[in-house]
Amino acid sequence: MEDNVKTVEILGSGCARCEETYRVVRHVVEEAGLACEVVKVESYQRMAQLGVMATPAVAIDGGVVLAGRVPKAEEIRQLLGLR
Amino acid sequence: MSGELAAQRHGTARAPALRSRPGLGAIMVTGLAALVLWVACYLSLPALSRWITADVLGLRRGTALASAVEFFVFEAPKVLLLLALVVFAVGVVRTFFTPERTRRVLAGTREPVGTVLAALLGVVTPFCSCSAVPLFIGFVTTGVPLGVTFSFLVAAPMVNEVALVLLLGLFGWKVAAVYMGTGLAIAMVSGWVIGRLGMERHVEEWVYDVTGTPAGADASPTDWPGRVRTGVATVGEIVGKVWPYVLAGIAVGAGIHGWVPTNFMASLMGRGAWWAVPLAVLIGIPMYSNAAGIIPIVEALLEKGAALGTVLAFMMAVIGLSLPETVILRKVLRPRLIATFIGVVGAGILVVGYVFNFLF
Repeated sequence: MEDNVKTVEILGSGCARCEETYRVVRHVVEEAGLACEVVKVESYQRMAQLGVMATPAVAIDGGVVLAGRVPKAEEIRQLLGLR
Repeated sequence: MSGELAAQRHGTARAPALRSRPGLGAIMVTGLAALVLWVACYLSLPALSRWITADVLGLRRGTALASAVEFFVFEAPKVLLLLALVVFAVGVVRTFFTPERTRRVLAGTREPVGTVLAALLGVVTPFCSCSAVPLFIGFVTTGVPLGVTFSFLVAAPMVNEVALVLLLGLFGWKVAAVYMGTGLAIAMVSGWVIGRLGMERHVEEWVYDVTGTPAGADASPTDWPGRVRTGVATVGEIVGKVWPYVLAGIAVGAGIHGWVPTNFMASLMGRGAWWAVPLAVLIGIPMYSNAAGIIPIVEALLEKGAALGTVLAFMMAVIGLSLPETVILRKVLRPRLIATFIGVVGAGILVVGYVFNFLF
């Protein structure tokens, strides 16, 4: 199932909480050896496109799964279908 | 779904906890115990601070040093205790309000009602100035009027729940009510004025070209155990971040308390000095501090004879109008709208300062 995930976007304008979120997601993806792409998105157009109004937000293959807080690694594992 | 998620997230430390999530009963018992402990700590502070100052450190009562040390030893744990309790409560309350829900409410409103509603929602909706731009775009592109959006953007940082309860704890309910009432009034009037000025064309063009789905994820929990966990997590995040500022603020307050003579501020920031209010606003706008750090300074200034209106104006300028947020908003607002925003809100703060110096 986890092989289906292609892209994970971390949306945020470069604040400390967004960096932290990026680190958490990268850590989980690398640890599990997933082939998906992890991108940090700072474009406000993209955020608006996805309907993100609170940052940091995480979108998996274009669907927002989390917004407005820094996630725990365990949460990301579940969202990626690793458990 | 999100509630389960939050629950499982917190079960990571103990693997079997995934299955046995604490129920509402367990949470209430733990909460009650925590509250009793909190009250006991809070009530023992005066005796504890005297004991530390006089017996442990051996400082003679009445000296400037003893006075400053006692102030610090008493205020620091008191403010941190209040902060933890308030941030927890606010964290729980905010699980009921998300930016998405607020947007949906405001998108259907007309100007006078919408402006008032936006200011009120600005107080309870989770907001961080780093999200100001996506929130602004999300609002204006889905039918929330510009003035209503500004009412929200002014109220959200200005009427800060941390500031509100710290004022309540340190100065009593009157000052807290005045702060909340005037903060809301400034947000409503500013939003209304900006709406009347018809400044839509001073929003960067690309904002209106954005085609988005107004269907962002609501990731907040919907069950009580989930809400309580969010509250606890918020305490860890916010108190963990602001405590150095709080301690620094209280240390400055302690210095003023011990060494600056009473009424020293009366000539500088007292009611007689007409120029004190504009000066306080001008100094406050470029300054950036969180509410928790500024309150102890406010306390010390008031105690030494500074006028309430002047101090209130200073505080509102510091936390309500911040340089970093303005720089961020420049991405979506043209300079004239930025200038109008600062001008209108600054003028509102000025009026509040003068009115309070006149009344009290």
